[in-house]
Amino acid sequence: MEITFTPEEERFRARAREWIEANKPTDPPIENDLKARRDFDLAWQNKMYEAGWAGISWPKEYGGRGASLMEQLIWYEEFASAGAHEPSTLFVGLNHGGPTLIACGSEAQKSFHLPRILRGETVWCQGFSEPGAGSDLGGLSTRAVLDGDDLVVTGQKIWTSFANIAEFQELLVRTDPDAPKHKGISWVICPMDAKGIDIRPIRTMAGHQDFCEVFYDEVRIPRANVVGQINDGWRVAMSTLSFERGTAFLSEQVRLTRMVGELIELAKQTPLGGAAASAGDRTKRTIDDSDIGRRLAQMRAEVEALRAMTYRSVSRTARTGVPSSEASLIRIFFSELQQRVHALAMEILGPQILEWDADEQPITTALGTKRRRIRETWVFRWLLSFASTIAAGSKDIQRNIIGERVLGLPR
Amino acid sequence: MDLMLSADQEAIQASVRSFLDDELPMARVREIAQGGAKALSPLWRAAGALGFFGLAVPEAAGGAGYAITEEMVLFEELGRVLAPGPWLGSVLAAHALATAGNPHADLARIVAGEQQVAIVDATSAASSIVVRGNEVSGESGYVADGDADTAFLVVAPSAILYVASGSGAQVERRPSMDPTRAIAVVRFAGVRGAVIAEGSDAVAALLRRATLLSCAEAVGGIQRTVDMSVEYGKVRKQFDKPIGSFQAVKHRCADMAVRAEVARSATTYAIVSVRDGTADQDFQVSVAKILASGAYVQNAADNVQNHGGMGFTWECDAHLFVKRARSFEAAFGSRLARLDQLAESFRGA
Repeated sequence: MEITFTPEEERFRARAREWIEANKPTDPPIENDLKARRDFDLAWQNKMYEAGWAGISWPKEYGGRGASLMEQLIWYEEFASAGAHEPSTLFVGLNHGGPTLIACGSEAQKSFHLPRILRGETVWCQGFSEPGAGSDLGGLSTRAVLDGDDLVVTGQKIWTSFANIAEFQELLVRTDPDAPKHKGISWVICPMDAKGIDIRPIRTMAGHQDFCEVFYDEVRIPRANVVGQINDGWRVAMSTLSFERGTAFLSEQVRLTRMVGELIELAKQTPLGGAAASAGDRTKRTIDDSDIGRRLAQMRAEVEALRAMTYRSVSRTARTGVPSSEASLIRIFFSELQQRVHALAMEILGPQILEWDADEQPITTALGTKRRRIRETWVFRWLLSFASTIAAGSKDIQRNIIGERVLGLPR
Repeated sequence: MDLMLSADQEAIQASVRSFLDDELPMARVREIAQGGAKALSPLWRAAGALGFFGLAVPEAAGGAGYAITEEMVLFEELGRVLAPGPWLGSVLAAHALATAGNPHADLARIVAGEQQVAIVDATSAASSIVVRGNEVSGESGYVADGDADTAFLVVAPSAILYVASGSGAQVERRPSMDPTRAIAVVRFAGVRGAVIAEGSDAVAALLRRATLLSCAEAVGGIQRTVDMSVEYGKVRKQFDKPIGSFQAVKHRCADMAVRAEVARSATTYAIVSVRDGTADQDFQVSVAKILASGAYVQNAADNVQNHGGMGFTWECDAHLFVKRARSFEAAFGSRLARLDQLAESFRGA
């Protein structure tokens, strides 16, 4: 049992830290300027690629770094600790689409798409959920009919982040309506500029517009874009989801630890009752309140335990070579902790949270463009945290997975 | 970095588990737990013969030469079966005596399982014990599994002493809320012991060890509550279905499994931190105690709930974990005390 890293791993850490610190981009665009975010993320990705840091978990033969599990862990820790900009518009390509092609794609699919994803040339989005198929993803009904060398797709997808700035989509369609529901699905690469696609942004409760719904009206996609076999899409999709529950969440855990540190600082700086309170004891800091103090201490302990949990999970994966279903345990603990942390921020801040502008816009002044980034506000992060027990498998589904797959309870 | 058990640790785990499965089925635990040192004596000798008390004792002193990481494996297994008796005091005394400059004559007997040692935490607010030189005076708080025939490892704020059995300590056994852990109050009136170590650093080191091995024991109990609920959820039927198929029960079990993994991870990480003497070891110890304590209390309660009416009976084992969770929580710095300590560290000057 060891909690330290080897000298070689520590050298890797030093190199990663040095490079990230020297190269991390500053001044990212505002939340709702999606076009600018796309350009910014692609440029950052390209910079990482040129320096040999792109695709940290991707095999070398596909242009990735082929880093060991420990190196991946170190990279994500350093990336998040440095507060480096997360290229979130590229998440699906780097962590879903790309890895799925690596696992199940044809040589032609791999050689076309993988370099483009890695070099920061294409944005991917996900077309899984539908209005009628959320937790019950297998019940999806967007249909695709084979017509010559094309699949003709008609239906609707929802919760598709960045659909309006993406080149490609990992799209699940029903190709055999008569088969049992998990047997009639295919996984297709959908070019987002195809005729018949209509994209409408959805505004979230946090005010931003990363989400879209996507409508398909007899969209023709070449049959060659099917990944794996026709009607084998469920298996292909599951290989994607296991990536999603793997190492890709490491850096958000490190960010949460940073967030708790920031929250402790916030409680030291904020008078009890909030800075904007007109009454109340202004001489007492929020951190001096015994209830707030204990809750912060509990959270500090919990983020530390989260790291230990992740280390144990990575240790297990390093032993067995496969991502473990225990990742669901971490996911539940992380997502609920994230919500508690942000809810406590609202209590610490008090009435000052009431003044907040969800409609962030660039404000042009004589001195240039002044921009307010809502992502840097506690209110935005708090509102965003509501998604963490819904996205990538709701907490209820995660608890089913733990109950059935980890504990072996009957369905 | 690797937080999984090594091959050696897995072998220790298998050996301890097989021993405890044979020697300590729950009926036996209930039978001997309040019987004092004599009732525990055969178990103690058998465990001594297998080397369980000397895991972290150097080989030269008759031990296996392992570290706290291997003791962790032992304690997790003990916690799984709610093993009664002063395991913690005996294991800590063996290690403390063996690593002291001038080993005590009782060391070999402790390692062999011929002498039980209970731990007296004289740093706790409940204790009025004062140590002067090698003399101990005053009254202890509750001492787990202290008996007339046990020796005492007295942990005072600036010294650690070993008080051999028959040295004149007066032991008054008290009724214990926790049926699997006896308690006593021990009075010392100028009782002479052997000074094992002096200085607050040595005391702090021993208390870290004590806290973490009790956390490891708790982790075993926490895991057992998950196992019990899952087993019951598979066999108990209502509405013609196993109750574990209902999401209300299934999700409660899932939450129990999450808490168990949190407590185990925090405890394992803290134990390796203490073995390595990292700069943040005291913080890691508090993290482990805070999370193991919360997890044990809640999991034990959920386990009673999952067992329904049966869970409320004396006959069902579920209540034993509820009670053990509280005796674990009360020793070596409660969750609340540690949270306050941590909060104070944030406040700064």
